[in-house]
Amino acid sequence: MGLQGDFYQVLKEQGYAFGLAGQAKVEQDLITATTILAFKYRDGVLVAGDRRATAGNLVMYDRTDKVLEIDRHSVMAIAGVPATAYEMARVLEHSFKYYRRTQLQELSFEGKLRALSKLLKENVAAALAGTGAVAPIFAGYDIEQEAAKIYFYDILGAEFEGVEYAVSGSGSPTIRGILHYLNTWGEQPLSASSEEQATVQALRLLTSAAEFDSATGGVNRDAGLYPVIKFITADGVRTVPDSQLRSLFESKVSRTT
Amino acid sequence: MYEEPYRWVEAVGNRRHYLDEQFKQGSPVVGVAYETGILLMTMSKGTPKLYEIYDRLALGGMGHPADLEKVRFSLLETAHVEGFNRSPFDVTGSRMVKYGLAPVIKQAFEEVFKAPFIVKMILAELGQKIGKDSFLTINYDGTFEEKSCYAVLGATPGVEEEMAAYLRQQTIVSLEQAVNAAVCSWAVGDLTQRQAFEETGEPREAPANLDRRVSDSDVLYDHIRQCMNGKSIECALLDRQMAGPSKYRTLGPDELATLLPRDLGRPAA
Repeated sequence: MGLQGDFYQVLKEQGYAFGLAGQAKVEQDLITATTILAFKYRDGVLVAGDRRATAGNLVMYDRTDKVLEIDRHSVMAIAGVPATAYEMARVLEHSFKYYRRTQLQELSFEGKLRALSKLLKENVAAALAGTGAVAPIFAGYDIEQEAAKIYFYDILGAEFEGVEYAVSGSGSPTIRGILHYLNTWGEQPLSASSEEQATVQALRLLTSAAEFDSATGGVNRDAGLYPVIKFITADGVRTVPDSQLRSLFESKVSRTT
Repeated sequence: MYEEPYRWVEAVGNRRHYLDEQFKQGSPVVGVAYETGILLMTMSKGTPKLYEIYDRLALGGMGHPADLEKVRFSLLETAHVEGFNRSPFDVTGSRMVKYGLAPVIKQAFEEVFKAPFIVKMILAELGQKIGKDSFLTINYDGTFEEKSCYAVLGATPGVEEEMAAYLRQQTIVSLEQAVNAAVCSWAVGDLTQRQAFEETGEPREAPANLDRRVSDSDVLYDHIRQCMNGKSIECALLDRQMAGPSKYRTLGPDELATLLPRDLGRPAA
């Protein structure tokens, strides 16, 4: 047991159960009321998410953090049922730490991807019952291969690589097309953007998603609410401070300054 | 044969003697708190003896590598399950040792038909605030002590006292001062240990007439330089300045070279 460094196994041996199926079949579509996105830029990968949490047509909370730092070089952005998604993030965070500390080496990027896939697979029953569906994006910097990587998952645990970008959540169809257009016919491919250009694009994309999707929160300048944007590079994960988002939003995004 | 109480006492006494013997070749371990963190230091022949246990906990050990591994895994499992089920703030060194590890080690030590753990350990804990750093040392019989500014492991209590006496005289504010003090204290421990065992061949409680030379820094540096032929200096930090929840990092050879006194920074020619 110890040799495997598998924290999830340790939890299970202690009687922990993840993703038990609920009995109630929820008719309402709870699946992915949110917008999260990730794309590669010049120095690594940008991951961003809006901050709205909804239940049906009610806005439950406008300060949700859906872009979760799992370790120094990886981030999971969540779309779906928050309770399950946060629990997954907690299991992953502890699993990666436990592996590193027991095995005295970092878990490989591939291993991290599999860990998330396994959790999603164990959660299939709850996802199909309508009470626990999560469709996350996992992005990070692979130290071994010295490359930024983006993966996205469906609710059953299938894993897909987003070579240039990935999106998830109810607002994602809107911006998927924009990302394709920008990346193919824009002045430069997204992967050539500077950090500032990438931040501006992320703000514009999330604002567009909020325009067409009521379950995506946009920017609320009155309340000082901006999306969460993180950069992952070889040096680790960094969050763009609100003050910087505010000035970029006002100078490069807003049309009513 | 152990049904009579005095037989059992005798057996435990023998066991103490046996365990003391096991540590006489061991490499001492030093832990010191400095301005922005905690440094753990030892010299090893390749197998590491300093480990990350949790976000703010680090372990340094002496003894049998297999026993150290058993203890390490037990600490890791307890800390992570606790941190997951409750909160990382609830994972404290004091809880891990007092209610988890110490009773298990004591039981193994007193069950005379089974093998004891051949381990001595320092568990260093980085406090949430500056000045709240702490150390717990655990002996092979399960006794533990709490310290605040520094902690040491040596072959005998006498060796540990010499190492601590050296540290008490030092002013430790910067990381550089911490590395210097730790390395010298290690050398005091190693020299004292060797002298004690050379003279008697037996572990002694207090080395009575130790040569005064051992606190002379030239002698200490010479000794370290000699030891660096077969061993390397191992340093781990709990660094308050690290971003994110995990504060543990090791000092790589390049960074260590800039912190060691100039003539020790270069590898032995």
